[in-house]
Amino acid sequence: MRLLAEVGLVVLAGIAVAVCVSLLPDARPTRRSRRAAPAPARPDQLVALERLVVSAGTSAVHAHAYLRPLLAEIASRRLAARGQTLERMPDAAARELLGDHLWDLVRPDRPFPEDRHGPGVAPQELRAMLGLLERL
Amino acid sequence: MLALAAAGLIAALASGRPELALLSLPFLVFAGAGLILAQEPHLAAEVELDRTRLLEGETVVATVWVRNDGQDRVEVELAPVRSRYLTLEPAGVVAVDLPAGAEARVAFAAHPRRWGAHAVGPLVVHARDPLGVTTWEGRLGRRLHLRAFPREQRLRELVAPVRTRPFLGTHVARARGEGIEFADIRPFQVGDRVRQINWRATARRGAPQVNERHPEHSSDVVLLLDTFEEARDQAGGTLDAAVRAAAGLARAHLARRDRVGLVDFGGTLHWLEPAIGTTQLYRIIDALLASDIAFSYAWRNVDSIPLRVLPPGALVLAISPLLDERSTALVTDLRSRGCDLTVIEVSPLDHIAPGPSAADAVAYELWRLQREALRARLQSLGIGVAVWGRDGTLGPALEGVNAFRRSAQHAVRV
Repeated sequence: MRLLAEVGLVVLAGIAVAVCVSLLPDARPTRRSRRAAPAPARPDQLVALERLVVSAGTSAVHAHAYLRPLLAEIASRRLAARGQTLERMPDAAARELLGDHLWDLVRPDRPFPEDRHGPGVAPQELRAMLGLLERL
Repeated sequence: MLALAAAGLIAALASGRPELALLSLPFLVFAGAGLILAQEPHLAAEVELDRTRLLEGETVVATVWVRNDGQDRVEVELAPVRSRYLTLEPAGVVAVDLPAGAEARVAFAAHPRRWGAHAVGPLVVHARDPLGVTTWEGRLGRRLHLRAFPREQRLRELVAPVRTRPFLGTHVARARGEGIEFADIRPFQVGDRVRQINWRATARRGAPQVNERHPEHSSDVVLLLDTFEEARDQAGGTLDAAVRAAAGLARAHLARRDRVGLVDFGGTLHWLEPAIGTTQLYRIIDALLASDIAFSYAWRNVDSIPLRVLPPGALVLAISPLLDERSTALVTDLRSRGCDLTVIEVSPLDHIAPGPSAADAVAYELWRLQREALRARLQSLGIGVAVWGRDGTLGPALEGVNAFRRSAQHAVRV
């Protein structure tokens, strides 16, 4: 008799658990929530320049080979608007206009760096150069 | 349910206690009853749109109805499939309880976030039997297409072409003939009309003088849409703005009786030969709706464009963010071949913010100056560049281009 009562209690407890489980909300993720939002498109030009600024800060070769032509092009276009050319500027006038650091980097007769593993142009220094270019 | 029953049985076997097996018995009974009573639901569903054409920014109502043709009550969760740039409100899954033979209608507000060919449907339906033991998932209904047309800017000022066609239009031609715009005074010749005589000049010079005038002609205009690359943020991208500009320019030039063509120049190449009229406007807009950024390594140049698409003397309006080397090479190549060319630069700077680090901020500044240098290089070749930002209107930018083209220093020699 007692055994039957115990069995009955266990079965009732099982039914209670089954009812509780069936009442739980369906936690399965929906198709829509799995959809990812489109990622913003960042231009390759800008990504390449972000890499260049970092690499030119640590490598004199990168600064000479990749950053220098870019700055020379910007300086040339800005000087052309003033009726001047980078190639024909006297050294003293160019230093006054562009500053020593920028002129040393963009002057046409700049030699290839002797120390290939030397530091390049730090981002802070580059920021100052860009400020000078913008004021041209 | 079956997992709980199995867990109870395994636990009973492992521990040697039969009570645990008894505990799992109700689960087995419940799951068995559910499986025996389970039937595939007989559902029918459809999606309807109150209209299929609208302007971007407008809202269309998508009505979904679903009907339970079965004999049992079904709990249904439904969500319409939608294209990427279409927002639906309510956004989540909608749950409907359908008794046998009942029908339910749900209205979704569909809002295209940009122009384009969008799609709504079919419905993803997830149904459960009343016991919740079995579920059924499927797709019902059709896929409906929705075309959202770009919002165009009304343009009063357009780029004046250097060369015109000898057909009636609104552009003052360089040639002399019958027209309204005064050109010059010259001595009377046999065949001149009396009404052309300038009586004041005749009285001063003592010989008959006649007025010469510039005729009003139309021109060929080719819109060159650069779809190589775009800059995009959450609010939109450069291609969105470029298509709006192209649609506005096409409408304005066609209204002035110009022949307008379109070249979609990017990873894929599409074109429409220049033509006149309202039909051509709708052809162009349809082509614009299909334009998208297609990634490609293929190097394309002006030789890829059929000759008949670029008539001699046509004004080419290149709408580009100038982000890809191939599009820059194309415009310089066109100019070097003597093409009358203007670049409408859809500025990507409004869509892209500097990166988080100090070096990224320097790179962003360098990028801005590099773009200015590129613009100066194009202008030095005689290419007018109109910079169009996100918040600006296109009209003033085109006025600036016309001023550039008129200036003696940068006179366009075609």
